[in-house]
Amino acid sequence: MAPRSITYSFPTVHISCPCDESIAITPKSPTKPSAPAALEEDLEESEEEETFDPRAPRSNFSLFPLDNLLYCEDCNQIRCPRCVHDEIVCFFCPNCLFEVPSSTVKSEGNRCTRNCFSCPICFASLVVTPTGEEQAGPYILLCNHCLWSSAEIGIEFEKPTSIAAQLAQKLKPPSLARAPSGSFTSPLSPMSASSESYFPSMGAPTIITPDDEVDKKELSPEERFIKLKAHYAQQRAGAGADEYGSSPGALSRLMGLYSGLGSGSRSRSFGRGIGGFSNTGGKGKPEWTEWDTVKEIGDDEEELVERIKEVGFAGTASKEQRIAQSHQPRFIQDLKPLAALLRTKRSKRCRACRHILVKPESKLTTIRFRIKLVAMNYIPALSISRLDPTAFNYVALTPLSTHQFLLTITNPLFDPINVTLATPAKTPGNYPSTVTILCPTFEVGANTDVWDEALQTATNTPTPTIKKGRKTGMLIGTVWDMGRNWTTVVIEIVPPLLPLPGELDEDGNELATEDDRVVQVPVSVRVVYETDLERDDGGLGKEAKEKREHTYWSVLGLGRISEKMPTKAAEDAAGPSAARPMSLVSAPGKSVIGRGSAGEEVSGNKNRHSVR
Amino acid sequence: MPPKQTKGEYIETDTGNKVSRKSVILGSQNIILGGKTIIQADCTIRGDLRRTVAPGQHSGNVAIAVGRYCFLSRSSVLRPPGRTHQKTFSYYPMKIGDHVFVGEGSVVEAALIGSYVHIAKDCVIGKFTIIKDCVRIEEGTVVAPNTVIPSFSLVSGRPGVVIDELPETAQEGLELKNLYRMI
Repeated sequence: MAPRSITYSFPTVHISCPCDESIAITPKSPTKPSAPAALEEDLEESEEEETFDPRAPRSNFSLFPLDNLLYCEDCNQIRCPRCVHDEIVCFFCPNCLFEVPSSTVKSEGNRCTRNCFSCPICFASLVVTPTGEEQAGPYILLCNHCLWSSAEIGIEFEKPTSIAAQLAQKLKPPSLARAPSGSFTSPLSPMSASSESYFPSMGAPTIITPDDEVDKKELSPEERFIKLKAHYAQQRAGAGADEYGSSPGALSRLMGLYSGLGSGSRSRSFGRGIGGFSNTGGKGKPEWTEWDTVKEIGDDEEELVERIKEVGFAGTASKEQRIAQSHQPRFIQDLKPLAALLRTKRSKRCRACRHILVKPESKLTTIRFRIKLVAMNYIPALSISRLDPTAFNYVALTPLSTHQFLLTITNPLFDPINVTLATPAKTPGNYPSTVTILCPTFEVGANTDVWDEALQTATNTPTPTIKKGRKTGMLIGTVWDMGRNWTTVVIEIVPPLLPLPGELDEDGNELATEDDRVVQVPVSVRVVYETDLERDDGGLGKEAKEKREHTYWSVLGLGRISEKMPTKAAEDAAGPSAARPMSLVSAPGKSVIGRGSAGEEVSGNKNRHSVR
Repeated sequence: MPPKQTKGEYIETDTGNKVSRKSVILGSQNIILGGKTIIQADCTIRGDLRRTVAPGQHSGNVAIAVGRYCFLSRSSVLRPPGRTHQKTFSYYPMKIGDHVFVGEGSVVEAALIGSYVHIAKDCVIGKFTIIKDCVRIEEGTVVAPNTVIPSFSLVSGRPGVVIDELPETAQEGLELKNLYRMI
C-alpha cells in the first residue's frame, strides 16, 4: 500500500519501521536511564545516525502510514505488518458470513462450501436465480453486474441449496464417474517416472501398468485432485500407525511421510524408490510406475489455434480471469464459477517478544478488540497542511519558489512531550529540495481527558485558518500555533528545477524520472517525556517519574514538482523568498538544520535555464 | 473537509440532526434519523418508497433508518431497494448504522450498512447490498447488487471487489464526530 499512496496523493505522512535495520530484533529495555547526561549522549548518538533515504529501494518496504502500525509495550518499539506474527482466530466466508471450522478448512479447502460464488468474468458475487415459472427451478447462478450466468456454460441446478455440492457433481468429469475410486494408483508416480530420468543409473524400473485405460489419458485437474486426495488420505492412515525411525536421511523420512513406510504392502509409490536409491530402504525393492505418456504438443496447439479462430479474441479469457481459475483455461467458455475464498480474523504477536499486540473478539460479527496496541496511541502523529490554503495544487509545486507547509504534531500520550525534529537540509535523491523546519524543538501538551476536549472545543478547535495574532510564528525558533495536545510548526521547501520529461542524458536514460519529481522529506522525530512509573500495585506515585524517549524516522510526501518552468513572476517570488531565509539564518536560532544555499541554487538553475 | 456553511442553511432537529433546506426528502414520516446526522444540499432521500402491503394490513412504516453521526454529502441519493417477490413489487427498508459517510453524488440502494462505513464520492451501491462495519469504499466504485462486504474491507473497482484489508485502527479513522462539529 505504501508505494501507491506515496505516489498519488499528497500530502502523505509515512513512518519508517526500524525492523529492516535490525534483522535480529532484541527487546530493548523499556526504561531509559533518567540521568540527563545519558540523554545528552543519546542525542549526540542519534545525530550521528545516517539520514533515512526515502528513495532507497528498501524504504518502500519499511514505510507505513501511522494507521497500519502497532506498538509493542514491552519492546517500546513500533511494529509494522512485517514484524508481527499473524495467528488465525477463525475462518469465515466473506459472502455468507458463516464461520468455517478449521477442520473443514483442512478437509474442504479454503473456499465456501455453501452457495457463495463469484463471477468468473467480472468477479462480482453470483446470485442463485430461478429460471422456471413461479420461482421454481431449474436454478442458475447469475451475475448481477455483467449478467453472466451459469447457463452460458450449460450448468443449471435442480435445487437452490447446496450449490457447491451440486456444482462439484456437475463438474466431475464423466471419466471419473466411470472409474471406480477403488482402483488406486499413486498420483505421485509421474514424479517417480521423471526421477528415472534424473537418476539413469537406477536402471529400468519395474513398470506397473495401470489397469485402467483412463489413466493413460491426460487427467483433468479435478481427476488429478481427487486421486491425490485419496492418495494422501490413504497414506496418512498408513503413516499414523508407523514410526519414522527406520529411514536414515531427512529426505527419505520426509518422503516416508507421504509414501507411508509401514504400509509397504499397500503402497507402491516413489518414497520407496528414494529409499531404494539410497540403498538403505531395507524393505522391498524399488517399484516404479509409468503414469503418463509423452504429450504431443503439436496437436494440442493446433486444436487451440482452431478454437481461437472460432471464438475470436473476445472468447479468450483475460489474464486475471485465467489466474483466478484452478485449471487456467484459455477460453471464456471454459470458465467456471469461483467459490468464495474464505477470509480470516487474526490476532497479532510481536515477533521479538511474542506478546500479543492485537486480539480480536472471537465472535465473527463484532469489530471490537480485546487487545489493540496500535502505534497511534503511543507515538505522536504528524500531519501536513498548507500555510495558505487557497487554491493550491500538491501535484504541481512550482520549482525554485518557497513553499510553506504547516506540520502539526499531535500528542496521544497523557504526559506532555518534548519533540525534536531533524531533517537533512537537502532531501536525498538526484534532485534535492531544500528543507527548513523553522522551529525544530518544542513542546506538545498532554492528551487530557476527553471531557476537557468536549468543553474546550468551542474555544480551542484546531482550525487551519491563520490567526492574525500568531504571525510571529514565522520567526525562527517559535512555533506557529499550539493547542491542548498539538503544536504546529512551519516547514519550508524549495523544490529544485528538474529537466523536462523526455530530456535524455547521453545514455538515453531520462534525466528526471517521475520518482524524482516527488518531494519526499525525511524527518527524524525524537520524543522525550516524563511519565509516572508503572507500578505493579496499580498506584501512581507522583515522585516516581521516569524519563522515556522514542525516535523514529518519518517521511513527508509534500507534493510533486511541476514540469512547468517557473514563470517570470514565480522567479520574482522565488527571489525574495530565497532572500528571506538568509535573514532567518542571521537570527540566533537553535535550528539543527543548516540553511540550504537556496540563493546559490537559484542562480545555478538560472544559468542552466539560459543555456537551454 | 467541507467548508463551514453559512448560518441558516441547515434546519437543526431536537436530536441534533442538521438537514439542509435544499435537500429533497420524500416521505419524511418514514425516515428515522438517529441524531447528529448531517444531510447536505441536493441530497435525495426516498422515504416514500416503502413496503407495499395488502390493503387492511398494517405495515412497519420505516423506509429508511439512519444512525448517529452520519454524513450525507451533496447530491447523494438514498433509495430503499425494491424487487418483485411472488409477483408483487415491493420496496424493502434500508438500515444505516452510525458514523456512515456518503460521498458526493453517490447512489445508495443497500439493504444494510453497518457502522463506520465510508462511501467515497461517485459510488453506486447496488440493491440489497449488505455492508458490515468498518468498510471503506473508494471513489467511483460500483458495488453489484446483492453483494455482501465483510468488516475491515477496502472495496474498489467496477464491480466493487474487496482489494485490501483495513488496519485495526479503521474504526478511529472512520469516526465522524469531528466532522459533525465542523458544520
